[in-house]
Amino acid sequence: MGIAAIAMVAMLSSCGKKPQAEIDAANAAIEAAKTAEASVYVPAEFAALQDSMTAIMADIAAQESKLFKKFGPAKENLVSTVTLANTVAANAATKKEEVKKETEALMTEIKAVVEENVALMKKAPRGKEGAAVLEAMKTDMAAIEAAIVEAQGMYDGGKFMDANNKVKAAKEQATGINTELKEAIAKVKR
Amino acid sequence: MRRLWKVFLFVFVSAAAIALLVFILVRLTPEPPVETIDLARNALAQAVKDKAETYSRKQYGEAKALFDSAMSSWQRENERFIYFRDFDKVLSFADQSIKKSNEASATAISNSSNLKSRISQKLKDLNNLLKENQDLFSTYPLTSEVRHRISKGKILLQEAEVAYEKGQYLPANRKLTDAEYLLTESFNTASANRKDYFRSYSTWKKWMDNTISDSRKNHDYAIIVDKYSRKCFVYLSGTLKHQFTAELGKNWVGDKRVKGDMATPEGMYKVTRKLEGSKTKYYKALLLDYPNEKDKARFREEIENGSLPRNAKIGGLIEIHGDGGKGIDWTEGCVALTNKEMDILYRLAKVGTPVTIVGSTVDLHNVATR
Repeated sequence: MGIAAIAMVAMLSSCGKKPQAEIDAANAAIEAAKTAEASVYVPAEFAALQDSMTAIMADIAAQESKLFKKFGPAKENLVSTVTLANTVAANAATKKEEVKKETEALMTEIKAVVEENVALMKKAPRGKEGAAVLEAMKTDMAAIEAAIVEAQGMYDGGKFMDANNKVKAAKEQATGINTELKEAIAKVKR
Repeated sequence: MRRLWKVFLFVFVSAAAIALLVFILVRLTPEPPVETIDLARNALAQAVKDKAETYSRKQYGEAKALFDSAMSSWQRENERFIYFRDFDKVLSFADQSIKKSNEASATAISNSSNLKSRISQKLKDLNNLLKENQDLFSTYPLTSEVRHRISKGKILLQEAEVAYEKGQYLPANRKLTDAEYLLTESFNTASANRKDYFRSYSTWKKWMDNTISDSRKNHDYAIIVDKYSRKCFVYLSGTLKHQFTAELGKNWVGDKRVKGDMATPEGMYKVTRKLEGSKTKYYKALLLDYPNEKDKARFREEIENGSLPRNAKIGGLIEIHGDGGKGIDWTEGCVALTNKEMDILYRLAKVGTPVTIVGSTVDLHNVATR
């Protein structure tokens, strides 16, 4: 009778198979989200996705520890995780595209500001200390142009976030010079 | 009937015995560490939220490794026969992971907060440093390398501000460190250079005092050119009468040493000729007696000690002339005034009028604080 009971327990405990195919699919989807740079562009969503996978793996381990295994909910969660991972990947791609477009717009804007500054420099007053200040501005403009080239390199290499930061900073500088030049010209006109 | 009853009783007792046995076996199954693992996972997730991956990398890495060990250990135990499983190790790893995650969270919060306030302060300090030094060196002829480094430092400082505003403290800090190095090093170089320039102040002071004193004694005009402040002062009988803005040689810092060095000489000179019309290409000019005897003696000494090449020439034709007002130091060593101011000076000066050119009429301390 005892043997029968143990056999029954062994049989019951081996019921329900670990959902390996679903686990692999979920892991592959998470890897795809990682490749889509989800950790860079949507870090909070990606962290939540990873945590949800960890929770599912803990649940699977818990089921494996039980005499009567039940992988149904874990399977469902793994399927949801694949969907979630695809959403996170899509969101990352959207965000990346947003940053890319913003960077492109900033690049266009800064190039226009730089061109305007070159034109303004020709009109700027040179009397008193004006010319010396213009000389310093020329060096600043050269540094800004070098930063734009660097940002373009980052952009071409797909590092849109880094390019965005660099071009934003360069634009701030260029705009500052633009304001200074316009003010100096306006003073002379008055 | 009795037989049937016996069979029924046997089946019932057997079923009850099996059920009891199964119940006992289930009860004997070791309890999996679900709750503790869940706590460990939550603690780790919280550490991620607190950006421990960035601001407490080592502790977070340890917490993650401990959690992974707990999970692998759990899986290993699950592979064993159900009654031989022992989850003590799993619990121990999970407990350690919770502890480490909590530490990582606390460290990350503290580190990011400290870094944030440090960056904020450094941004303020560097912006102040930049402003102070830009005012100080706006008309000082810094080398193109120093100017370039300052411009690069300014861009990096701006990049740090952008990263800081986005909450990216680590990249902000890296940019700030680079900006700080470039800016402080550039301004230190410029300050050291300026300090070196002011080393001759006591000599300049003597020349100025003598010039003003002679003007007082002779009841005559005397001209003093202050290179640092780019001023041309006109004295009569020791009293300041006029003050003009002067433009100098492109490389005005330091004394003139050789022909073509674009430096404006320092010394006590005299007007030797007054030139106007076709005699000068700069509206009107007062030709000075550069090189004087002291300039010549120093030039010879420099040739002899090898600091100047044997074929070097001392140069000449240093003037105070018109066509100034460009707002930049553009001459080859002369002092340029606007034509309007040159008219005044030309009228007042005569051949023999003393012209003393000094590095500065005030000392370094007063230059820095004025």
